[in-house]
Amino acid sequence: MSEQSPISDIPEALVSAALTERSVSITLDAELYPLQAVYGASYVFLDRCYVFLDRPEPGRLRATLSAKQAVEEPEALRQLVGEFANELLSCAWRHQVTQDNRVAIETVTVQAIAGAMGEPSLDDLADFDFTDEALDDPLGIAQSWEEKHGRKTPAEAEGERGEEEASA
Amino acid sequence: MTTTATELRFHREVYSGEAIDQAVKTWSNFAEFELSESDQHWIVKLTPKHEPAAARIIGEFGNYVLGLTVDRGGVQ
Amino acid sequence: MRPINLVEIQPRSGTQAFFRWRQIGEDTILVTNLEGNWLILTRDEFTQFARGEVPPDSPFHQRLIDKNFLRSHYDVQAAAERVKARKYFVHGGPLLHVMVVTLRCNETCVYCHASRANMDAVETDMSPETARKAVDLALSSTNGFVTIEFQGGEPLVNFPVVKEIIEYATERNKEIGKRLEFTMVSNFSLLDEDKLRYLMEHKVQLCTSIDGPEELHNAQRKLPQTHNAFQAAAKWIKRVNEAYVEMGLDSTLYHVEALMTTTKATLDQYKQVVDTYVGLGCKTIFLRPIDPFGFAERARLRLEYPRSKYLEFYRNAVDYMIELNKQGVEILERYAAIFLTKILRGEDPNFLDNRSPAGAGIGQLAYSYDGNVYTCDEGRMLAASQDDTFLLGTVDTPYRQIVGHETVRAMTIATNLDQQPDCVNCAYNPYCGTNAAYNYKAQGSIFGRMRDNNVCAVHKGIQDYLFEKLAENDPQVMKIFDRWTTIRPREHFVQEPDA
Repeated sequence: MSEQSPISDIPEALVSAALTERSVSITLDAELYPLQAVYGASYVFLDRCYVFLDRPEPGRLRATLSAKQAVEEPEALRQLVGEFANELLSCAWRHQVTQDNRVAIETVTVQAIAGAMGEPSLDDLADFDFTDEALDDPLGIAQSWEEKHGRKTPAEAEGERGEEEASA
Repeated sequence: MTTTATELRFHREVYSGEAIDQAVKTWSNFAEFELSESDQHWIVKLTPKHEPAAARIIGEFGNYVLGLTVDRGGVQ
Repeated sequence: MRPINLVEIQPRSGTQAFFRWRQIGEDTILVTNLEGNWLILTRDEFTQFARGEVPPDSPFHQRLIDKNFLRSHYDVQAAAERVKARKYFVHGGPLLHVMVVTLRCNETCVYCHASRANMDAVETDMSPETARKAVDLALSSTNGFVTIEFQGGEPLVNFPVVKEIIEYATERNKEIGKRLEFTMVSNFSLLDEDKLRYLMEHKVQLCTSIDGPEELHNAQRKLPQTHNAFQAAAKWIKRVNEAYVEMGLDSTLYHVEALMTTTKATLDQYKQVVDTYVGLGCKTIFLRPIDPFGFAERARLRLEYPRSKYLEFYRNAVDYMIELNKQGVEILERYAAIFLTKILRGEDPNFLDNRSPAGAGIGQLAYSYDGNVYTCDEGRMLAASQDDTFLLGTVDTPYRQIVGHETVRAMTIATNLDQQPDCVNCAYNPYCGTNAAYNYKAQGSIFGRMRDNNVCAVHKGIQDYLFEKLAENDPQVMKIFDRWTTIRPREHFVQEPDA
């Protein structure tokens, strides 16, 4: 690999940037730029650059952008650093705006949309396996109290009492 | 005519292993692949099948893996 | 264009309702929200909005409230109503049923994506039995509207089966009660007065292809040497339009429309193309870029072009059409009309390749001559090159198995723009769509990658152009655009079942 030249005047919060003949490597503070924002920014450059992401050490991410076309001017690669920083900030901001408005987005969407398949037919219902677990139920809401706490249902307790009496 | 092998090390915390598997399948017409792993990386040794396009194949493959990883919402 | 620099602006979240943005000019930033409302902002306005520093008593603040861009005043009910209006199409099943009644064609088009066959290939004709089963399947759709579209090859080559479909569907519909329509895409060269009379009597909407001026058209769409493809199409466009007038129909509403396919040769001839269409009495041009299916792939070195060139052609052509409109000439561009209907009216014209999720499998089905059923016509075209990825079943497969097929589900997910990494951030998300079969063919997966996707480039480019015009806010242009989005229903073509 050819010697790297550092770039001065990189935007704030990018840890460092360095360029070679054809590529620029940008090291980021992963606390300030979550991985989702880095993904989003990197994605934007996929048509112009070869993009490679790495984690050189905990708390850091590194994005290496290599120009696809022959680079005439080193300035073009320096510009990429600024563009990438801009895009990173854009993605981080978007991410925050989406988080802020997540409930509204979901509410609007659920209210607006319904399905397109029409009602199931009697044949569809006959084919359906009702013994399958239909729901994810992380809070155990669909569980009976007995299932949740390992206790017997009244019917099970009744059955056991009957067996004990029969064997006594 | 095949070229020399290039090793790409995809960090497990950044790239999805399934994305790599899918990318390898899609790109199998353009390169030979050997897969291995370390504690931190998915390691892909790829040998482009077409010398004049070797750099492009390597670069586009890397982009493809990143694209598929992003499609999946990143590393879970 | 000096890009917006967010590092300088230092945006702060907290005041903005969910929105997306795109810089479309030096001092022109478009913002759109979840339900498709939009505003054009200056740099200063965008900076204020981004920082949450819009003065509360300002007209700008009121504009933001009116269009639902502020968290503090966000109207969930209004947003839900608008989203519901935009997405009404998910409530119904396949509307469009493309019936490929034969692969035989008497014309050879250089970009043919239909995998046409020679005129002696009678084994590629759909049989009447298969046709009836296809009709049964189509009329099983949960959609109250069903359009059967005849395609090929050249559908007139198998006219007996065209008639069988029309008559059988009309008869069956008496008990089923759909709003049924028929359309046909034909090169017109095999029309005669008898066929025309039949098609007029049975209210079949006719559509043809015109690639531009005669020389260009004939260079790309070849009939046997003694025939002139352009002259044949032009003759019958005129005759069909006369027939509508003879029936007492309003000629401004009822006339033949034509489609074109943009090839490399078209790019320098925008004016000639538009003038040709106007000269033929057409009121709509659909400036479709070439697609990668069928012959076009083989001939791509000769026919294909960078999408930037296409967009340059597009802008020139539509600018010219706008000038003609100002002079009273009625001519609109179909892509523009589709996008503007969504942007200006908050409605979706349900163009199946340009909606989210796309229509493959849930809005349309394609029935091949051999009885195979595909998600869309592109899926059928891929099958012609031995790729059955988009095959759903046959005309004997029950309807719910067809539309509930895992391929349909996959394509619906893949074309939902809210899961696409690029589209989820794009300001054009509320108005746009992608094509899963195209993505698969061009990029190796039904999801595609929008960054370097030609369909995305075209959609973004057209919307950039339209929003630049909307930002200019020229009253004459706005009036023209309003006219382009006015959909006047053509009730004559609806086959109402007898009472």
